[in-house]
Amino acid sequence: VIKGKVTDDKDEGIPGVSILVKGTSIGAATDVNGNYSIKASTGAVLVFKSVGYATREITIENQTTINVKLKPLVTGLEEVTVSYGKQRAREITGSASQINAEGLSDMPVVQFTQQLQGKVPGVDIALSSGQPGRGIAVRIRGAASFATGYQPLYVIDGLPVTGSVNNINPDEIESFTVLKDASATSLYGSRAANGVVLITTKHAKAGESKIEFSSNVGIQKIDRGTVPKIMNGQQWALFMQEHYDDAVKYEGLNPAGTGYPDVYKGDVSRYGEGTNWFNLTTQSAPIQSYTLNVQSAREKSSSTVILGYQAQDGVVINTGTKLLSLRVNQELSIANNKVKIGFNIAPSYRLDHNNRLTSDGVGGFYERVFESSPILPAYNADGTYAIGAYSPGMVAYINPVAQLKESRDDYITTRILGNGYLNYQFLPGLSLKTNIGIDKGAETRNNFTPQVANNSVPTLPNLSTGISSSVDNYSYTAEANLNYEKTFFTDHHIEALVGYSAQKFDSKSNSISGTGYPTDDIGYLTAASSITAGSSSASQYSLLSAIGRLNYNYKGKYLLQGSVRRDGSSRFGENQKYGYFPAVSAGWIISDESFMAKFKKIDFLKIRASYGITGNNDFGNYTAITQLGKANYYLNGAVVPGEAINVLGNSDLQWERNKQFDLGFELGLFNNRVSFNYDYYHKLSDNLILGRPLPRSSGFTTIQYNVGQLEFWGHEFTVNTINTKGVLKWNTNLNIAIQRNLVKSLISPGYLRRNNTVTSDYYRNQEGHHLGEFYGFVFLGLYKDAADLANSAKYQVTAAAPNGSSDIGTIKMKDLNGDGVIDDVNDRTFIGDPTPSFTFGLTNTFAYKNWDMSISMSGQVGGKILAASKWAYLTNMDGSRVPLAAALDHWRSEADPGSGIYPRTKTGTTAIGRSVNSQWIEDGSYLTAKNISVGYNFKLKNNWALKNLRVYASVQQAFIITGYSGSNPEIGLSGLDATAGIGIDENAYPVPRTFSVGLTTTFK
Amino acid sequence: CKKSFIDLNPLDTPSPDTYYQTDAQLKLAMAGAYVPMRDLLVNDYFTSEMRSDNSHYQPIPNNRGTANVYRENVSDWNNDANNDYVNAVYYHCYNTIARCNTIIDRIPLANAASTAVKASVDGQAKFLRAWNYFKLVRLFGGVPLSLHEVKKAEDAYLPRATVDQVYTQIVKDANDAISELLPPAKFPQTGEATKGSATMLLADIDVTLKKYAEAETLLNTLPAMGYGLNTNYTDAFLTTNKNSKESLFEIQYLEGTAVGTQPSNFFYQFFPRTTTTTVVTGAPATNTTSTGGWNSPSFDLISTYETGDKRLDATIGIAEGAYDASYYLVISANKSVVGYTPAAGKVGVPYVKKYLHPPFTTTNNTNDNWPIYRYSEALLLLAEAQNEQGKSPLTALNAVRARAFGDALHNITATDQATLRDIILHERRVELAFENKRFHDLQRSSKGLAIMQAYAAKAKTTYTFLPASAFDIQPYKFLFPIPKPEIDLNPSQLVQNPGYAF
Repeated sequence: VIKGKVTDDKDEGIPGVSILVKGTSIGAATDVNGNYSIKASTGAVLVFKSVGYATREITIENQTTINVKLKPLVTGLEEVTVSYGKQRAREITGSASQINAEGLSDMPVVQFTQQLQGKVPGVDIALSSGQPGRGIAVRIRGAASFATGYQPLYVIDGLPVTGSVNNINPDEIESFTVLKDASATSLYGSRAANGVVLITTKHAKAGESKIEFSSNVGIQKIDRGTVPKIMNGQQWALFMQEHYDDAVKYEGLNPAGTGYPDVYKGDVSRYGEGTNWFNLTTQSAPIQSYTLNVQSAREKSSSTVILGYQAQDGVVINTGTKLLSLRVNQELSIANNKVKIGFNIAPSYRLDHNNRLTSDGVGGFYERVFESSPILPAYNADGTYAIGAYSPGMVAYINPVAQLKESRDDYITTRILGNGYLNYQFLPGLSLKTNIGIDKGAETRNNFTPQVANNSVPTLPNLSTGISSSVDNYSYTAEANLNYEKTFFTDHHIEALVGYSAQKFDSKSNSISGTGYPTDDIGYLTAASSITAGSSSASQYSLLSAIGRLNYNYKGKYLLQGSVRRDGSSRFGENQKYGYFPAVSAGWIISDESFMAKFKKIDFLKIRASYGITGNNDFGNYTAITQLGKANYYLNGAVVPGEAINVLGNSDLQWERNKQFDLGFELGLFNNRVSFNYDYYHKLSDNLILGRPLPRSSGFTTIQYNVGQLEFWGHEFTVNTINTKGVLKWNTNLNIAIQRNLVKSLISPGYLRRNNTVTSDYYRNQEGHHLGEFYGFVFLGLYKDAADLANSAKYQVTAAAPNGSSDIGTIKMKDLNGDGVIDDVNDRTFIGDPTPSFTFGLTNTFAYKNWDMSISMSGQVGGKILAASKWAYLTNMDGSRVPLAAALDHWRSEADPGSGIYPRTKTGTTAIGRSVNSQWIEDGSYLTAKNISVGYNFKLKNNWALKNLRVYASVQQAFIITGYSGSNPEIGLSGLDATAGIGIDENAYPVPRTFSVGLTTTFK
Repeated sequence: CKKSFIDLNPLDTPSPDTYYQTDAQLKLAMAGAYVPMRDLLVNDYFTSEMRSDNSHYQPIPNNRGTANVYRENVSDWNNDANNDYVNAVYYHCYNTIARCNTIIDRIPLANAASTAVKASVDGQAKFLRAWNYFKLVRLFGGVPLSLHEVKKAEDAYLPRATVDQVYTQIVKDANDAISELLPPAKFPQTGEATKGSATMLLADIDVTLKKYAEAETLLNTLPAMGYGLNTNYTDAFLTTNKNSKESLFEIQYLEGTAVGTQPSNFFYQFFPRTTTTTVVTGAPATNTTSTGGWNSPSFDLISTYETGDKRLDATIGIAEGAYDASYYLVISANKSVVGYTPAAGKVGVPYVKKYLHPPFTTTNNTNDNWPIYRYSEALLLLAEAQNEQGKSPLTALNAVRARAFGDALHNITATDQATLRDIILHERRVELAFENKRFHDLQRSSKGLAIMQAYAAKAKTTYTFLPASAFDIQPYKFLFPIPKPEIDLNPSQLVQNPGYAF
């Protein structure tokens, strides 16, 4: 028996090195510390092989211990997961970035996408809402599309996932590969236009049998500095007192009449701070996660079992999420490694509690917290809820404490991801791969809104309501492909792939609603006195595809790749069922050329280019088909289940075509201590699908239509440096992306507005402009005096009303068309662009003796935010809701004009302040320290079973540096959907700061 | 695998390609075509009633959101072409028209259907289409004349037709409907449009077009179909007397919360905003959202009822109380409007009582149908047609009045045509108040402008909270603007009505 340790040039053990007795099938592998043992006798030759290292052969003489040092090969020998296979990094001719999940596991987050923030240039990830387990959006290379999805395709262990990826425990993930350009993604055809994220789950490696337990416990807190500062009790009473005093002074209000509520009269200091609704509805909340990972690997089989539990309570009371997950990955090789069979199965169970209530946006629960009257209590003296939270003059609001505490909205999601595969190597170089996968999901919802959460008056006239619904779906994918790999005449290497794939998705859903529960105690529909609605429905889609790919390289330095996918899709229009998605790419490893030998500092230099076409079919299942819908009527004493066409189909509807060019280079310097990547891309999204607005005289509002083109281009830079080696190891990753988009063409009238209402018609997508540019009035301040009023254009002027609804001390907008009148159509224009100048991510990792530390940051420079909620609602001068404390400093008289920002409260003049205008625009630049973590590794010697112990402390969302006055600069109306309002702040569930500690232990 | 693998159609709805074939399918499609009328009715009272001197709105100066401001603008005559509520009227008329177009186009292809059902459904669809175009042409002038099912985007872009072209089509459709439909088979009726409905519609059109002789002929055919007045004015609106012999056509509702119910809520929309309606409705309800507070009877309407006219008390009630600072009316008593004077320290806010039929079981949920045409209007149209031809209108006119007053003492005896013209206009106002008739009457009356200007002068002094631009009555405003979003989508073919800035 020969024993020994395999180390690298830094004398560190290399795990997973395969050791083979030459000429036999006897083999072994090194463990995590690089140690091995193998049966072999004198005279035999041992072959030491490991990816990324030069293979060594050693003949056994008389030793029993053979320590081996392996020399690392040049950059890029490590294999990267790519579409339909693996490829050496150096030979990849497209834009693909692999991220190892190991370095991300310290983050106290329940969504893996959160771990990727700031890691890859051109991959924008925004946490637009802090709802537990939700609120994150991913966008690759600015992807945008009007009616279709913009988020990437997720592929887990080779199988495209349908729907949400929320049920995946981040601890199950080994690595991510982000595919960005067409050559990298085109094998996913009509689903690839938004980029692809390949997820590889953990599989035990030879010699790595272990049990690992990791846990993380944290506390989440809202950063008080980011919370809107609204009026407290006495400030609100004072604001209203001024409001009524001004009405007495300017509008002839009778100060003794009922129009001037007594509650606002006199010394308002009696109200003090008043009720702090924010404190009553928010909390510090725990977050925890535990993962047990049992891995064993033998020569011919491996097994990985990962059991996880995560729980995150919300910082808004009575919200949270829990996830219980299991993954079992098994693999077996037989017939001299010619046949490989594997099974992966991952069931999971998630309970979402109240985290999908409409907490975000205008009228959302979170906004209500700020609008409620601070001079009213949340509870009556007897401990029951006070009904209503509005003091005189305000709109009737429901008590938000009752709303948040007593509403119940539970979603239970179970999901089983599973696949089985069989690889068979017929001949050297020729192999068949088959893979059958299933994605089974089910979700039930139980919703109950009791009367106290449904009423603003004590008579409780609005009944309690409830919903019970469920969705059950499955999708299967069956794939088979043939791989052929061969080297001809020493220097010509080819790799070919042809394959076939079929996928079908099927979903059944139902929903029942009820009302009139006798009490608020039992919130199940059995208790409801009336069933108000019931429905069940079905939905399907299918995809039938063929793929082909050919890779060729000469001497490993001239690289060529061509690929094509043909997709037939049930979603396309009758006349457009099939689409072809080709791509070509080429690379040249210049550093392998002899003339480069004199540049000693350059270790690696590659240039590459690609062009290809991908598609986007994420536009609904029956969108192309004209559909009938229910239209019930009541005739002759009976309900008649009427029918009417409610969706106008388009039999010529095509998938969107994304034509992308990519040019990149990769550079390694100074013994690979510095590596530099650059990509330029240019994308043209053609045949964009949009619910094209139709004249309503057709009886329809829209038809799904191929309406125009969007153009995207950008530059992506990544620098990885090893700053210091030795005792203190310090590595840095900096990435920067400069990305632009342009609405190149759009069907008549050449623009799309959000809606018809000046208060929320926030943006306009218009030909020749960037996506989502804000649209509104241009704010000029307040009318200072009579002369200013006389000499300026005024709002809604008519012959009979020469001042319209303007007056001294009201908001003055710019008269853009110079007609002397401010109106809603002619005097609004583009007032800001949410597109940032550039975005960046910066990660520093340090290791010193047993200590390690990492700091992950991300941010953007430039890009505007439209603070809609702040101005339309939290600065509402109507007196119907509680404004920001700063609005106390508003216009009272010419002598007391206040800050000049906040207008007077005169009746009938305040509407324009709620219309979108340039006052709402703020700079959206920010830098967020996403995560800071510090760890300590205990070196355990001769301990019983414990092999490794690491403890760490981590702060998520550690700090934000921004000039933006709102809560969250990553906000958007619809995630990162640039066609549906990015950079618009309508308020959302706060994103908390999380302090956590964790430990990871490994048992032998 | 084959193409069939990727040929998937919805499993939970029928396919439009194979629908519209049998008697049952045609009837269900027809039922579906009545549904958008409900969407129209919750918007049309702004354009056809609140635009007139009959009604106004409750103040809500503390909430200047567009949901309130836009609604007020219709009543205040200062709306622009971006007004969601005016635009909704346009949209919903066309929603009904589009459903009717599809039915009318597909009936000839319905090989499995009987001739009788085809005729009945075609007649109903043409009646509805004509009624909606009649609504459109009066409110907006010459509108795009969409007469066929829209099957692709290009079909949706149509130019404005002339007013004459629209009327030609309306008359054609109404005539087809009269010939295809049968009189009511029974009373109470089923709720479907009948020969009587179509006859009344064409008579209404004829009077609008000043074709008085034709109108008179048509109206005289109605009694033989079984129509007549109910004994009492209030009977016409009772939820226990739907689709009665007085009803020529009404839109159907069914109160309740259970599956299949289709409640109306007109009462609440027309009731002052209040935290509790209990004093008036019996059961507690809130009316605090912008759903409520509209179509409040105007001072001018209340004062125009003659002494002894029972219709005043039947149409209008008074919620007595005081506004709180949030402009919610805190109601202390439910009073009769007849001879009403407010108690000390209280205000009396008039509300529409016509559609108040408790007991209610659930908030915002009523059983009231909406009358489109009643036989009393047929009598008043007949009177008008006769008077304009120089004939005596007194028989028809006094039939309506005798019921209203409960005696013959208030019968009209005048004989002068001009005097009678004013009397008939006034009679329509009080008989048909809150049935979305008044603004159309003002449109076609030569005195409409003068009436509105006189009312505006009084309204400006009566109503507080009016914006300075309110009640600037101009002749061009008797037509509403074509919706701005419609023009934006089809700028080369749609020209805005004169007078409007955009």
